[in-house]
Amino acid sequence: MHPPDDLDEYLRGDSALSCQYRREPAPAPPAALDRRVLEVSRAARGAQTVHAAPGRAPYLAPLAFAASVLLSVALVLAIVFGPQKPKRVDDAPRVLRVAALGGLSQSAPLKRRLELYSSDPQAVRAPAAWLADIASLRRAGRLREADEEMRRFRNTYPGYSTGDPAIRP
Amino acid sequence: MLGAMESLDEDAKLMLRYRDGDGDAFSALYARHKGPLYRYLLRQVRNAGAAADLFQEVWSRLIATRSRYEARAKFATYLFHIAHNCTMDFFRRDLRLHHAAHSNDPALQPSEPEVPEHQRPDGIAEFAEQQSALLAAVSALPQAQREAFLLHEETGLTIEEIARVTDVGIETAKSRLRYAVRKLKKSLASAQIPTIRPLQERRDLRATQLNAST
Repeated sequence: MHPPDDLDEYLRGDSALSCQYRREPAPAPPAALDRRVLEVSRAARGAQTVHAAPGRAPYLAPLAFAASVLLSVALVLAIVFGPQKPKRVDDAPRVLRVAALGGLSQSAPLKRRLELYSSDPQAVRAPAAWLADIASLRRAGRLREADEEMRRFRNTYPGYSTGDPAIRP
Repeated sequence: MLGAMESLDEDAKLMLRYRDGDGDAFSALYARHKGPLYRYLLRQVRNAGAAADLFQEVWSRLIATRSRYEARAKFATYLFHIAHNCTMDFFRRDLRLHHAAHSNDPALQPSEPEVPEHQRPDGIAEFAEQQSALLAAVSALPQAQREAFLLHEETGLTIEEIARVTDVGIETAKSRLRYAVRKLKKSLASAQIPTIRPLQERRDLRATQLNAST
């Protein structure tokens, strides 16, 4: 049989010691101290409000995302369905450029195109530029036109050496 | 989640509301705990000015860290854990000042270095004259025992909660409280003041004792 423990008796909450302590004066913080603490709390909440301003970004985030998507879609549509850049005829062989200038399509008969080519005042050109046109025709697989051009070239410059195999028939 | 919220004590719910921006919740919390906290600090450091400074520091820390608050335990353990840390910091600062003041005179080094200057016997005697025999006996307790007693009396914390607040094991907290109770009962018995007498009667008796001693 253990003797009753002071602590067990005390922890029951109704000990004479606890009763006496509760009867003691209970000083409270001065009113000025209350005001200071509550002011600290108010100031902290004010600062939180200021710092929370960027916190509104989450509400704006969906709008920003939607705007980005719309902009992207608009760009894609503009690229796919927007006005096409006209093909630069200057890059095409001269025979094609002349045909294009004359309003003929690429499917127009070669004879017609060559007629236009021959009627073009630029038909007789410097040998190097002419040979470059012929080479372009060959690279494009337009061998008949290239042969025809070559024949014209030889008639015009019979003594001109054409060492480049790209232009030879 | 609802069940967890329902199991929270009212103060923890208030603190959660305050964490989420409800200023009125803080006012309610403050009104509930300012008295016990102030008395805990006052009777721990036994200096009204220091207690006021610590009181403001404790609430300031609670306010500053409110966004990290999680209701894992009774709110009082959270608040008084902050108070315990502030008080320990205060005692360490006080002790350093005391050591610096007496560093050139080893004879003046305190025999119990954990006791701050304002808790030296002279200070205790002066402080004790302004209060009842019980509070004088509480003041005379070693700091750790006094803290355990005040935590239980002012907040109703259990031994487990006192251990958590003071960062010690349960057995240590229990031992501190047991020694505190034993010493207080012995002090009161030796003062021959019945523990159930009304306050006015005890004050009259104490005044008689003081007059007789002078």
